[in-house]
Amino acid sequence: MSFLEVRDLCLDVGDFELSGIGLKAEKGDYLALIGPTGSGKSLLLETIIGFYGPEKGRIILEGKDITNFPPDMRQISIVYQDHVLFPHMDIFENIAYALRKKLRDKKQIEAEVKQIAGVLGIGELLHRKPATLSGGEKQRAAIARSLVVRPKLLLLDEPFSALDARTKEKLREMLKKAINEYSTTVLHVTHDFEDVWALANRVVVIRKGEVMQAGDPESVFKRPSPDFVAEFLGTNVLKGCVKALEGKLTVVEAEGMKIYSSDPAEPGEGVTVSIRPEEIILAREALESSARNTVQGRVSGVFKKEHLVVVEVEIGNAEIKAVITPTSCEMLGLEPGREIYAVFKASNARIIR
Amino acid sequence: MRCLKSRSVNHSWFRTFTVGIACTFTFLLFMTIGTLLFVLKPSDLLSSLLSEEMLYSMKLSMLTSSASTISVMCCSIPTAYALSRFSFPGKSVIKTVLGLPMAFPELVMGLALLLLFGQGFLGPYLEALGIKVTFSKLGIIIAQFFVAFPYAVRVIYSTFEDINPRYEQVSRSFGYGEFETFRHVTLPMARSGLFASGVITFARCIGAFGAVLVLAGGSYMHTEVLPVTLYLNISYGNLEMAITSGILLMGIAFLAILSFEKFEGGRM
Repeated sequence: MSFLEVRDLCLDVGDFELSGIGLKAEKGDYLALIGPTGSGKSLLLETIIGFYGPEKGRIILEGKDITNFPPDMRQISIVYQDHVLFPHMDIFENIAYALRKKLRDKKQIEAEVKQIAGVLGIGELLHRKPATLSGGEKQRAAIARSLVVRPKLLLLDEPFSALDARTKEKLREMLKKAINEYSTTVLHVTHDFEDVWALANRVVVIRKGEVMQAGDPESVFKRPSPDFVAEFLGTNVLKGCVKALEGKLTVVEAEGMKIYSSDPAEPGEGVTVSIRPEEIILAREALESSARNTVQGRVSGVFKKEHLVVVEVEIGNAEIKAVITPTSCEMLGLEPGREIYAVFKASNARIIR
Repeated sequence: MRCLKSRSVNHSWFRTFTVGIACTFTFLLFMTIGTLLFVLKPSDLLSSLLSEEMLYSMKLSMLTSSASTISVMCCSIPTAYALSRFSFPGKSVIKTVLGLPMAFPELVMGLALLLLFGQGFLGPYLEALGIKVTFSKLGIIIAQFFVAFPYAVRVIYSTFEDINPRYEQVSRSFGYGEFETFRHVTLPMARSGLFASGVITFARCIGAFGAVLVLAGGSYMHTEVLPVTLYLNISYGNLEMAITSGILLMGIAFLAILSFEKFEGGRM
């Protein structure tokens, strides 16, 4: 029996819907839920916490069916992107408010508030009203308020998406520390992969209210299964056919390219090859290297994406994306129209079916 | 630089037109109000103000309006909350019915109330309990209540709508029940909106005329509230008294709008 089990959850609230979602989480898991906007991730959280009643399906927490429990009986906390701190209370009051239903003793409440404030570094801010705090501070206060009650389950609904990159990084570290200290099971909705890498031990990909893939981050990112997941995760997806086997390598002819993959396949089989953009090396000349795949192409586009550069390379009639640093982009003098070689290892050309 | 440049640009005729209309008619309105203030000599104003009839009327207006404002607030807060947060059968009907009195004349409302509380329907039963609504002071309060209630519901409804239900949901998740959440989170967050609607309700109640006249009757020194004083004295040709009650009503309205603006941050 899992710690949290969501079984066949169905709900339609107009703009969003859940159609038969199933999830499992063990105690202490940090589960990242990712998926495009409008995929029903937030709705799923709000159904688990009990703000919406599902039309079908069950939610089981610690072996108890809580599907019909009101939200105040579930011992689940939530942190939203817009922090939702009560504007008429100062930070101390906000955190203490969460505790008052659990603890009666004023001294004990104060001690608990001070402790969590210490962990999240907001000890100095306790007497301030939420409106006077920065985005990162508000979010830390909101996390403190949710964690201080030691909930069975902590739900995070894109808590960092309104923050700048540096604050995000800092907050992730603090959150990690706080969660270890308060040993909570977490469901974290995000579309930021950094969140997944830094925090999660399991990933669930959702689209249109359905679970597309679940597993540990490594396997989901390295070997995204259906086409959608691969595209959403931003890998290059090339359709092709297995031509031959060369020793331990599979040779795939995909969209005019000859690609060596170390994944096994049968000759004649129709397959899809996935190559992560960050595993492609761009070079001005064809290199002699251990990487088995070197394809010649032409740069068709260069885009900045956060602190990295995405380079689109046209190869025959296909196009693949590579992610490099701005420095490398400058060194290689990349601009549309330039000839370039894309180099990648056979082990990074994943065959997905 | 930009600012200077835009100032020297020729304004479009449309802009001139709209600003012109705004200025002209606001000026006319201001003139109208001004006339009311400067027609009377201060000594006349003072003597009418201190006349027995005016003092009675002021006192009765204050008392009835306070009573009706309190009852309106007690009923409109739950009504507005239910409309804003819950879905229940008949909700849209309730919304429509509450919207009606804003469009139809107060006088008709008074007539309807007179029929309801008169001899035909509720009157005999209430009278058996010793309650007399028609042509009584209680009638004033009831008329004011029904005039102001729909407005109050609307203002409070929009106040509740402005509060993201997530605040309440978060409070629920910490183990607070619905009523506790309402008391600790929703009410404090709605405070300024509630105050503003209280003020508007009071102004509405004190200014209610048609419904009051029909249901409570406009009898001298009995059910005479400020608008009734104005009306009665115009009919007698006693202009000093009429103007004085007009100035009083205007002063109250002015104070109401002033505090409304202050608390609602001038939303229009």
